[in-house]
Amino acid sequence: MKYIGRPIPRLEDDVILRGRAIYVDDIEPPGVLHAGFVRSPYPHARVLKIDMADVEKAKGVVAVFTEGFAPGGKVRFQGEAVAMVVARDKYLLYDALEKASVDYEPLPPVVDIFDALKPDAPLIDESLGSNIVHTEVFEGGDVDKTMEKADVVLEGRFVIQRVAPAAMEPRGVVATYDGSTLTIWSSTQVPFDVRKDVAKALGLPLSSIRVIQPYVGGAFGSKLIVYPEEIHIAKAAYLLKTSVKWTATRTEDFKATTHGRGLVLDYRVGATREGRVLAIEGVIYADVGGYYWGEGLAETAAQMLPGPYDIKHGRVKTISILTNKTPLGAYRGAGRPEATLFIEHIMNRLADEVGEDPVEIRLKNLIKELPYRNVFGVVYDTGDYVATFKTALERLGYRQLREWAEEEWRRRRRLIGVGLSTYVEITTFGYEIAIVKAERDGSVLLITALTPHGQGLATALSQIVAEELEIPIEKVRVVWGDTLLVTDGIGTMGSRSITAGGSAAILAARRLKEELRKAASQLLNCEPVYKDGVFQCGEKKVTMADVVRAVLKGETTAQLTVETVYQASPTFPFGVHIAVVEVDIETGFVKPLIYKSYDDVGVVINPLLAAGQIQGGALQGIAQALYEEIVYDQDGNLMTPNLAYYLMPTISEAPRFEVYFAENQHPSKHPTGSKGVGEAATIASTPAVVAAVEDALRRVKKIRFFKTPISPEDIYKALWG
Amino acid sequence: MKISLKINGVDYTVYTEPRMLLSDLLRRLGFKSVKVGCDTATCGACTVLINGRPVKSCNVLAAQVDGAEIITVEHSDEVLEKIREAFRRHHAAQCGFCTSGMLITAYYIVKRGVDIKEGLGGVLCRCTGYQNIVEAIKEV
Repeated sequence: MKYIGRPIPRLEDDVILRGRAIYVDDIEPPGVLHAGFVRSPYPHARVLKIDMADVEKAKGVVAVFTEGFAPGGKVRFQGEAVAMVVARDKYLLYDALEKASVDYEPLPPVVDIFDALKPDAPLIDESLGSNIVHTEVFEGGDVDKTMEKADVVLEGRFVIQRVAPAAMEPRGVVATYDGSTLTIWSSTQVPFDVRKDVAKALGLPLSSIRVIQPYVGGAFGSKLIVYPEEIHIAKAAYLLKTSVKWTATRTEDFKATTHGRGLVLDYRVGATREGRVLAIEGVIYADVGGYYWGEGLAETAAQMLPGPYDIKHGRVKTISILTNKTPLGAYRGAGRPEATLFIEHIMNRLADEVGEDPVEIRLKNLIKELPYRNVFGVVYDTGDYVATFKTALERLGYRQLREWAEEEWRRRRRLIGVGLSTYVEITTFGYEIAIVKAERDGSVLLITALTPHGQGLATALSQIVAEELEIPIEKVRVVWGDTLLVTDGIGTMGSRSITAGGSAAILAARRLKEELRKAASQLLNCEPVYKDGVFQCGEKKVTMADVVRAVLKGETTAQLTVETVYQASPTFPFGVHIAVVEVDIETGFVKPLIYKSYDDVGVVINPLLAAGQIQGGALQGIAQALYEEIVYDQDGNLMTPNLAYYLMPTISEAPRFEVYFAENQHPSKHPTGSKGVGEAATIASTPAVVAAVEDALRRVKKIRFFKTPISPEDIYKALWG
Repeated sequence: MKISLKINGVDYTVYTEPRMLLSDLLRRLGFKSVKVGCDTATCGACTVLINGRPVKSCNVLAAQVDGAEIITVEHSDEVLEKIREAFRRHHAAQCGFCTSGMLITAYYIVKRGVDIKEGLGGVLCRCTGYQNIVEAIKEV
């Protein structure tokens, strides 16, 4: 039985392909009531009076809640909830919501982070005394001295826009209380956190709360915090002793679900005349929005700012700033895409400055030997960046693509650009739990605390368990997404699932095998060897199923259920991605043509699923480079409140993808040997596309962009003024 | 008001409010494959066939389809099963939320011989990058 590394189509697809997978909005306990929120039209205002008299009188309304909203009597972003209404029908609910009458005293909004830092800026959280909510400094080496010695010093500001993760399924919650157990279904990545927070809010023991993660229609990090709505719906069901449901509309989701990116870097970089980077210093500003929900985003970006390059002196300060916008949160990569975009921009600028090409400048600066402690103390575990980089360029046909682009320019005046990016990513943290159960027929159940929502983890985990136990994959079932099944867990995020949860599964399966082997040894009166589900010494043998049945009959003893808590530590994928785009010289419109990737993500459990992660992730990063942007006007009004205004790529914008994984892998030290693949392409694609646009334009004018997205207008202005 | 319609080959007569959206009516009747992913008729997750043509059911009043024939992903026939199998083989579904819209549109594309990229332009997918969906449909 060999399952690791095979491109096995997903085992969990049938229910999705028949439209029968149950998402949160599909859950309808008998008599379920529908909840909705009264949301502030102002980004910054004092809430003076909430008059719900007309709402209470409205047809179909069951209850109105005004407690526990707008802490400190203020709203901090447009769309922040100030009250909740529960009605017996969704249509009647929306009629009733219209009747809410709220008096606000509008306060001056803080929209721009640099305005927020001015001494006379209005304060969003008065208790802080400023709009700075968090700051840290990361330092190593001697930046000041080194900078003085540098032949070349480059300075700049790079601005990364806010984007919306915009999973296709808006958030939603259903809760039901039966008098003893409060059951909550939520479109979340973190059911265990939901349980903890609801328990705390309602003063209930964890054991009386069950949180179920049904099928989740995408998340990309936007569902990894516990949101106020989850608490409010749980509370309503608990207090009303009934079932309550809330499903966000898309417009609600754009306002009440965290945005991503939104970081700005002011940098100074010192290098030798030959283009060897000596020192980097900078300030990373995070536009965190009305509440500091997205902790650690600027800090991750700071720590990973040196990327895969050997930079010995560094100092980066982070400043997280409150603004009257939707809170910032994790979005696929969460700090690493920003770090990579920053450093790749800097490398390309440096290449221009010293007259090197993008490949040579990288070869000069790539880390030569692993493990490597970067200047801020982050230890990159395994890899051979130089060799992988060189192989990648060969396998991806980098030179040939550049020649083709040149040829197209010469012969047809097509502006085609080829952009390159390389990255190192930090993935995997925290504990994860797996439970493996031996069934009496020799089949096996794996319960995981992971929270898959599209990645195909049930299939990958089945491969892992089937391989470890040497049994056919059909005999393995994977279940997930229910706090009743397993004590605790963190969930699917940070490219950690297979490495943390898969390793937990391997170790649990290994211990189960050992438990059963001990029992088999008693049954056979020998020390058996295990192979393909059978314990054997010479002619004597028992199957796994025989052992389980013997245990059930009391003929021997063994644990039939094994639970393993695995403590995972970070690991570091590396890769090289290439984007090819065509720019319309007259309109500035950019069309992505080809996208190629070469990643060393350690052991690849299932290349079909891994490639799926790369393709989807790449299109999100491409969209960040070219299309998507959350826009607020100067008064703090969200100008991109839905998919009609927010430019999510359709099939027309998708390039042709070619995905490769390194033949010469550098596994992590975790039992799976994997390093994580979920975010690699979101990290690598944005800088590759930016470089590709710049490469195309180079034929007309040398330009480096200092922001994303690069809109047609930006290109037009850069070219024609 | 009373309307009659045929859903996946079965006749229904339902009483509904004039303002009821078709997407909501279908979901209330148990056709939960019809997903609602936006409120601007942009995402296409709610796409169903109305008299053989793909339509975003969130943008149609139930009252407008009196007498119509509707196909949702709960439907099964040889073509749709082939498309399902191709989707599975090519890993064309990830989170699955857009998949109903993709499958129904693919069904139309295959049956009518429509250009794939043109046909799928109205359905958004956030997970796959679209390529595997195109490969799957090409193979049918």
